[in-house]
Amino acid sequence: MHRAWHGDPLHIRLSGRGGQGIILSGVVVAEAAMLDGKFVVHTQSYGPEARLGASKSEVVISAREIAFPEVAQADVLLCLSADAYQKYGERVAAGALSVIDDLVVGAGRATGEVMLPLRRTAREMGNELSANMVGLGALIAIAGIADPEHGRQAIRQWVKPEFREVNLKAFERGMELGAACVAAPS
Amino acid sequence: MRLVQGNEAVVWGALASGCNFYAGYPITPATEIMEYMARLLPGRGGVFIQMEDELAALGAVIGAAWGGMRGMTATSGPGFSLMQEHIGYAAMSQTPCVVVDSQRVGPSTGQPTMPAQGDVMQARWGSHGDRPALVVTASSVKEVYDTTRLSFEWAYAYRVPVIILLDAVLSHMRENIELPVLPASAELASPSGDPELPFGSHPFMPFSAATRTIVSGLAHDESGATRGSGIGTANEQILKGAIRQIENDAPRLARCRADRLEDAEWAIVSYGITARTARSAVDLLRADGVRVGLLELHTLWPFPEQIVQALAQRVRGMLMAELNLGQLVLSLRAAAQGMCPVSGLGRADGELFTPEAIAAAMSAEIRQIEVGGRMSHHV
Amino acid sequence: MSDVGADLKRYLRSPMMPTVWCPGCGHGNIARAIATALDRLAIDLGQVVILGGIGCSGRTPFYFNTNAMHTTHGRVLAFATGLKLANPRLTLIVAMGDGDALAIGAGHFVHAARRNIDLTVILYNNSIYGMTGGQQAPTTPFSFRSTTSPFGSIEPTFDAVDLALAAGATYVARTTTFDFAEMPELISEAIRHPGFAMVEILSQCPTYFGRLNKLGDAPDMLEYERDHTVVADEEPNQAVEITRQDLVGNLPVGVFRREIRPEYVQQYAELSRGRGGNYGA
Ligand SMILES: Cc1ncc(C[n+]2csc(CCOP(=O)(O)OP(=O)(O)O)c2C)c(N)n1
Ligand code: SF4
Ligand SMILES: [Mg+2]
Repeated sequence: MHRAWHGDPLHIRLSGRGGQGIILSGVVVAEAAMLDGKFVVHTQSYGPEARLGASKSEVVISAREIAFPEVAQADVLLCLSADAYQKYGERVAAGALSVIDDLVVGAGRATGEVMLPLRRTAREMGNELSANMVGLGALIAIAGIADPEHGRQAIRQWVKPEFREVNLKAFERGMELGAACVAAPS
Repeated sequence: MRLVQGNEAVVWGALASGCNFYAGYPITPATEIMEYMARLLPGRGGVFIQMEDELAALGAVIGAAWGGMRGMTATSGPGFSLMQEHIGYAAMSQTPCVVVDSQRVGPSTGQPTMPAQGDVMQARWGSHGDRPALVVTASSVKEVYDTTRLSFEWAYAYRVPVIILLDAVLSHMRENIELPVLPASAELASPSGDPELPFGSHPFMPFSAATRTIVSGLAHDESGATRGSGIGTANEQILKGAIRQIENDAPRLARCRADRLEDAEWAIVSYGITARTARSAVDLLRADGVRVGLLELHTLWPFPEQIVQALAQRVRGMLMAELNLGQLVLSLRAAAQGMCPVSGLGRADGELFTPEAIAAAMSAEIRQIEVGGRMSHHV
Repeated sequence: MSDVGADLKRYLRSPMMPTVWCPGCGHGNIARAIATALDRLAIDLGQVVILGGIGCSGRTPFYFNTNAMHTTHGRVLAFATGLKLANPRLTLIVAMGDGDALAIGAGHFVHAARRNIDLTVILYNNSIYGMTGGQQAPTTPFSFRSTTSPFGSIEPTFDAVDLALAAGATYVARTTTFDFAEMPELISEAIRHPGFAMVEILSQCPTYFGRLNKLGDAPDMLEYERDHTVVADEEPNQAVEITRQDLVGNLPVGVFRREIRPEYVQQYAELSRGRGGNYGA
């Protein structure tokens, strides 16, 4: 099976609703990949769009200098909300991995779409706003987009001290969810 | 190595260049420059002030320069339009300063959060009258830093307002770069010159007890006098001198990056964020066996005519890709002097080009030229 | 200013004489009052910068033997703000016209006053746009003529003192070119005042305002100034009330506010020190 996420450059799109910490998760992925020794470019949808409605944050990772900075077709997609899925769900490369929150109705039928309880897990852990970190953990476990240790370092670097612990825990839970889904026969 | 945002790179470049005065007015997508400055300058002994509008912001920067500080401001389209009056004043009074314009879609409020390159001509020709212009751009976060450093150097070397054109994507983009350690405060050479001759080709000398300079936007001679029968000529001489100095130095000022042009039959010419897309387009075309290369312009004004001419002699056709409806393509075409066909590819809808779109436009131009068609300008 | 005494000559930039001002123009009287004030205060001229906007009034900086900035119409206070912050040791005197300060530059005027930045605005109010040939200004009194209100102005008259008070200026005074002895006194007091100071001076423009409104030549206009102003009570609140009265008939003159409030540059220096910076040290 062709796995788009093994390519270089790797195009990652993180999407959700404004307020779900989409831009922060992009920065964390970029930082982690940087710690892996890669070139990274992070771009974000900005302004009103980042506050309301579907919002996205994109990271391009490569061993070489990166030219085109945006993501046309994602190799890896994270989707935390229904409107983000509607907007970005199909804009993926052949063989892409899409990790989608399982509360998004109607998703999960296309190949490469993996439904995971991202928001529910975060909620159970006491902070639904850390669903983005659950998602990141899952992406790292499934697609290996960065070294997990660098993921943790990046969270420590970019998340405000008062939310650091919650986010690190959410990230670990996401790693477990991802690992379980890799192990499961499909 | 750290992740740095484009707007942040402006600030580090400016501080490393001894910038110690910032006056501004908030506007997307330039605001972060101002916010970083607000946090950093007080602790460095510099001045930060939020003014009541962009005219005031640039006015304060000019005042500060005469008070002995190194100033800059940053804005986007609507604010850049307002600043034109004081860009002209800075040019007329030969006041060194740096103005960043992070371009967004216009005219008017346009699309505040979306990238554009529609201010290229305004940066050159904005403000009434004739003036020298130094306008630079960048396509990566590291280049934003380097360009900002260079801008301060040039602002003082040429006594002009240097304009840095960024765009909404570059301003907010993060890349991992190596930033030099910031000196606690930059050593500024103390100005020296003849207090009787504060203008013309003489060095910039801020006000001091030894000077009795009159700074004015009125036509004046080298001494600052604004009256007398020869003032028109004297003033024209100063402006001509300033314009000519930049023209003469154009080869040194013309910074650009040639990418796979050695064996190229075709050239894409681009600048700023669009140049990155163009680089990917060259990858696509090369993979199809097309001998194409990219000329990426970092200095927009003075327009690097000699470089373009040399290229126009060698290639069979050129394509200018830019995020506007056809601006710098006019200068490219003029510089190419008919030596090769030049076509333009533009858009102003707030989106970047995809590499495929630029590659397709280049291919279309190649097809047309190969069947002997005329040059086109599709936007 | 040609009749200025020998003692004041050293304040003036003789190569720039004669001035652009018409014979009998009140702006010359004001410039002489500024020179007198500088003389009384014995300030080192190397530490003074005179700034101006655009207008007949805005030409003032050319005539002083100091560093000078002749800026853009209405926006001189922005330049002055940057200059003062960059070199707080300078004494700034800013010449503004009524159109300059109250129409195109009203926004800058309000915010410089609000910040209470230490400088002195001398507002040359001739009730008209002199430089451009006699058009209506925000200060043109109701029913008075200008080239752009040929049938008499139908706009309410703007009061600079009201505006300065409302915006937070900490020294606010008004006088007239008729009061030639009071002008330098108020100007010196304003310069000494540590904060934003404004002295509005009613000035005669015989060439346009006088001619268009049949007010006679300069001496007649000075008498007109005398007859149409009243000395305001020094009690500040009452003074504010008076300014709102009939502005044509009874324009109050005097000092309307003297107040010490935190000054902007000082505030900034404190902020900088608090952040470990050495600004202003
Ligand atoms: C931006 C701009 N608009 C208009 C003008 C033309 N202009 C020059 S002076 C002036 C008005 C001057 O009136 P005022 O400020 O009252 O000064 P006065 O000449 O009466 O002293 C105007 C409109 C200008 N120089 N700049
Ligand atoms: S036009 Fe009026 S204000 Fe201007 S110089 Fe002449 S008299 Fe004075
Ligand atoms: Mg006037």
